Amino acid sequence: MILDVRNVTRRYRLPRRALLQPPPVLVAVDNASLSIDRGQTLGIVGESGSGKSTLARMVMAFERPDQGTIRFDGHDLNALSTAELRRLRQRFQMVFQDPYGSLDPRRTVGWSIAEPLRVMGAPDTARRVDEALDHVGLRAADAGKYPHEFSGGQRQRIAIARAIVTRPALLVADEAVSALDVSVQAQILNLLMDLQDELGLAMLFISHDLAVVASICDHLMVMQHGKTLESGPAHQVLAAPSHPYTRSLLTAAGAAA
Amino acid sequence: MFELDRFSVAFGSATALRQASLTIRPGDRLGVVGESGSGKTMLALSLMGMAPEAAQVSGRLLIDGKDMSAATEADWQRLRARKVAMIFQEPMSALNPLRRVGDTVADPLRIHLGMDRAAARAQALDLFREVGIPDPEARLRQFPHEMSGGQRQRVLIALALACDPALLIADEPTTALDANVKLRITDLLVRLAEQRGMALLFISHDLASVARATQDIMVMYGGDIVERGPTAEVLHDPAHPYTRGLLGARPDPAPQQRDAAGRRPRLPTIPGTVPALHALAAGCRFSGRCPVERPDCATVKPAMRAFGTRSAACHALEVPA
Repeated sequence: MILDVRNVTRRYRLPRRALLQPPPVLVAVDNASLSIDRGQTLGIVGESGSGKSTLARMVMAFERPDQGTIRFDGHDLNALSTAELRRLRQRFQMVFQDPYGSLDPRRTVGWSIAEPLRVMGAPDTARRVDEALDHVGLRAADAGKYPHEFSGGQRQRIAIARAIVTRPALLVADEAVSALDVSVQAQILNLLMDLQDELGLAMLFISHDLAVVASICDHLMVMQHGKTLESGPAHQVLAAPSHPYTRSLLTAAGAAA
Repeated sequence: MFELDRFSVAFGSATALRQASLTIRPGDRLGVVGESGSGKTMLALSLMGMAPEAAQVSGRLLIDGKDMSAATEADWQRLRARKVAMIFQEPMSALNPLRRVGDTVADPLRIHLGMDRAAARAQALDLFREVGIPDPEARLRQFPHEMSGGQRQRVLIALALACDPALLIADEPTTALDANVKLRITDLLVRLAEQRGMALLFISHDLASVARATQDIMVMYGGDIVERGPTAEVLHDPAHPYTRGLLGARPDPAPQQRDAAGRRPRLPTIPGTVPALHALAAGCRFSGRCPVERPDCATVKPAMRAFGTRSAACHALEVPA
């Protein structure tokens, strides 16, 4: 098991509504548990405000849970020192939604892809950048270009190259294909499946689109308002959803067929 | 009634919309699908008289039989809101954050229909009820930031409906919304079009929403209309290779399991990427990516050919005699 999340809760304090009352509390993630094995993909579906991105940020150790533990390859992320966490970080990486905002427009693509390698002081960065570009279907010569010279789909390939350049065991993809056109989305989903086969990646794949999740996930978790409504093997959840909310998501995704 | 006759919008050598011809009659619900750069938003802007000033426009647009080629901006301002109104994609940024939403909706009633403040306010309240905003009296006094995305989209719909337009253009009206809200807004637009006898042009890259909202569909690629026909027929049995590719690339919500070797089935894709507008082929825009391409496809533009209730622009199309 590469990732093991146990009973994780995250609360946010909201602004006070009245002077003498305690500030209201939003439970963004309420007692969530999940685990992912090597080479497997877990999908989290939910709408905005469901807590799926908060959960992803905790898995990435960008945020600490109020309760519960997150173990990556046996290490409790919130018990590690800063230096230990930095070393471990190269093994779990993230791809974000916006292929326009997540790359520095003033730096070459090669510089951006090499950034995680520089942070960990890795040798031989140029060769590894070339390898990463090759993995995502771009050419080594593309390393010298700037983000504006690429289409949205190619930029998402670059973001994926940056995420895999440290040879991670886990990739967290938060709405990584949501901003893309349908035909480009299919190409990127196929690329993620190829990378999983080649590198044995485990993936935490977050999306509001149940059809997208169905195409790529082994296990599925449905969230709403911070709560886990159901989870299980993807084919079971999709074939026989137990919660009415999951059924309504299926209706929304399937009306074209 | 809106008629486009071989209508083109170009920026120098880049043609954003090429020889589009179509007719929209009262009560029609027409879907437009296509990916970024297909020309679907340019088509919508053209129908609003809002094609960018830098563009070269050719062909004709007739509104109720009247040729709009010589129309001035003042002429268009009289037509907009009453003849044709538009809902934009972004319910967050399309409303003035400093004004109460009731005042925003009352504006066109006062400007275009000359209503006084009280009459416009009463009408805005009726519109809020019609688009299903709960507790409409209180909502009129709210600011956009106090509302959810779905409620804001309803306000924008109320705003577009204010002057009872003959044609409502909805450009990606559900794209920024959650799945359940998406269904409700789509159904609302259909109900409003039916009740008011209003034509609806529903632009979206979301095939599920278009299937739900429209009777007829147009598929666009690289500035061309490549296929059209009854929505259910086109989605069930697409004729143009691009439509087939687009439908195939859409993931299926049915569960996909790994095979014995642990491999997951890949999605069918359209090879390559949409070329930039200035780099498109002179003939069929889809040439270079097309699986059934013939030698003359890149140079000769295929004409739209009809078969039954449908038509498609493809040299490889087998039209039954």
